[in-house]
Amino acid sequence: MGKVIVVTSGKGGVGKTTSTANLGTALALLDKTVVVVDADVGLRNLDIVMGLESRIVYTSMDVIEKQCELSKALVRDRRVDGLMLLAASQKNNKDDIQPEQMKAICDKLRTTHDFVLIDSPAGIERGFSNASAGADEAIVVTTPDVSAIRDADRIIGLLQNARIEPINLVINRFSPQLVGNGSMMDQADVLDILNIDLIGIVPEDSEVITSTNRGIPLVYEDASAGAQAYMRIARRLTGQRIPIPDFEQKGLLNNIMNWFKKKK
Amino acid sequence: MANPIVALRAYRDGLHLIIRPHLSIAEVEEAIQQEISRMNRSLAGTSVQIVLKCPALEEEDISLLRSKLQETYDLTVRGVEVADAPVLAPIAAAPTMHTISPATDSRDSRDGEISRVVPHTLRSGQTEEFPQGSLIIYGDVNSGSEVRAGGDIVVLGTLRGNAYAGMNGRLSAVIIAMDLAALQLQIGNYVTRPTVNEKPRGYPEIARIGAEDVIIVEKFVKF
Repeated sequence: MGKVIVVTSGKGGVGKTTSTANLGTALALLDKTVVVVDADVGLRNLDIVMGLESRIVYTSMDVIEKQCELSKALVRDRRVDGLMLLAASQKNNKDDIQPEQMKAICDKLRTTHDFVLIDSPAGIERGFSNASAGADEAIVVTTPDVSAIRDADRIIGLLQNARIEPINLVINRFSPQLVGNGSMMDQADVLDILNIDLIGIVPEDSEVITSTNRGIPLVYEDASAGAQAYMRIARRLTGQRIPIPDFEQKGLLNNIMNWFKKKK
Repeated sequence: MANPIVALRAYRDGLHLIIRPHLSIAEVEEAIQQEISRMNRSLAGTSVQIVLKCPALEEEDISLLRSKLQETYDLTVRGVEVADAPVLAPIAAAPTMHTISPATDSRDSRDGEISRVVPHTLRSGQTEEFPQGSLIIYGDVNSGSEVRAGGDIVVLGTLRGNAYAGMNGRLSAVIIAMDLAALQLQIGNYVTRPTVNEKPRGYPEIARIGAEDVIIVEKFVKF
């Protein structure tokens, strides 16, 4: 039986879709069978980030309306074995799907795949309840800024009410430079507020934008800091114990600066 | 509202003039004047014991008070004693002791009051309301959440959200948090926006309605 994990955040634009695409691909590169499910009905994006938009024939809406079999609606990613996409319908809107219908799809997918990653839409309404309906676990993506954190906090409360656990945190777009000069919250501040387990930190990386536009998830190219961070998170999802590296800026000057900051 | 600085109380050994923490001796004089004018009978010819519930007064301040009481109100000072003076120095200009107003109103009594325990952190969007008594939160109250209680609110974590104590109008209600970082606090019909600190202060704080009818936030010292 596979695991169904919802990737969510509350706030938009923090990297849910990018994280879903990269974690899904990374898990497949680790020889797991994976389906990534776009739950953002009416505003789908996961297909573009995965570079599969031209190959979608059926969507989850067609499966629900019994226009096709679930297995036929899955789009195979040819670049890696074991990776599938279930696209969302772009013509419908979120209210056209019931949480029970999403749950039924997830329950079917988990019998055939190791991981089912659901890309949740932003917000706390129907789209979110659809996306989380069939989930066993959650990954909450946040950026280290106050508005994203407040929204993440709200989402964590809703996930806890729905008895979805564990809830793991990904801090995305983390900038050691900004933390170093005191204009960005550090990891400890974020964890103090959200108080859930941290599964990874993805540093700010301009490669992400290029990879999104090209439709090639970052993790195919090993080199960038972002790709390595996503690979580490994927390994942690498979149960490997990998320490979270310290991204904070080191060096004598920074140590002296930090010493002064602490005195203040 | 009871005078926060000076109280006149009758005890078996006679009148006690209790002086609580204050900013200046002039403030004490003014408070004495207010307190005595509230009495509905003259105190002339009686004697008082000065009880200091504040850091010890200077010798000259005491002799000033002694002559003032004698001349203006015909009150003889029997003696001066220091009662459970607070150990801590005043924080900035604020008084150190919490002068919870005595139960002048049945609503102010904490006797037999029930409390509700919230055994988890309150996250953004979650609210907890308990008009029947006080709320104790075993966690944080995060930004975007709200706690409302008829009595006091005690947060055994960081208070970042909104807290409303004394929601039925009890002005003696207090808000205590291990780390008080709220954007807005309300007690009875008083609202305040405490100064936001970049760093946690490292000690618990209490918000209460203080002198001059404003909510003050200060270091929590046990009652």
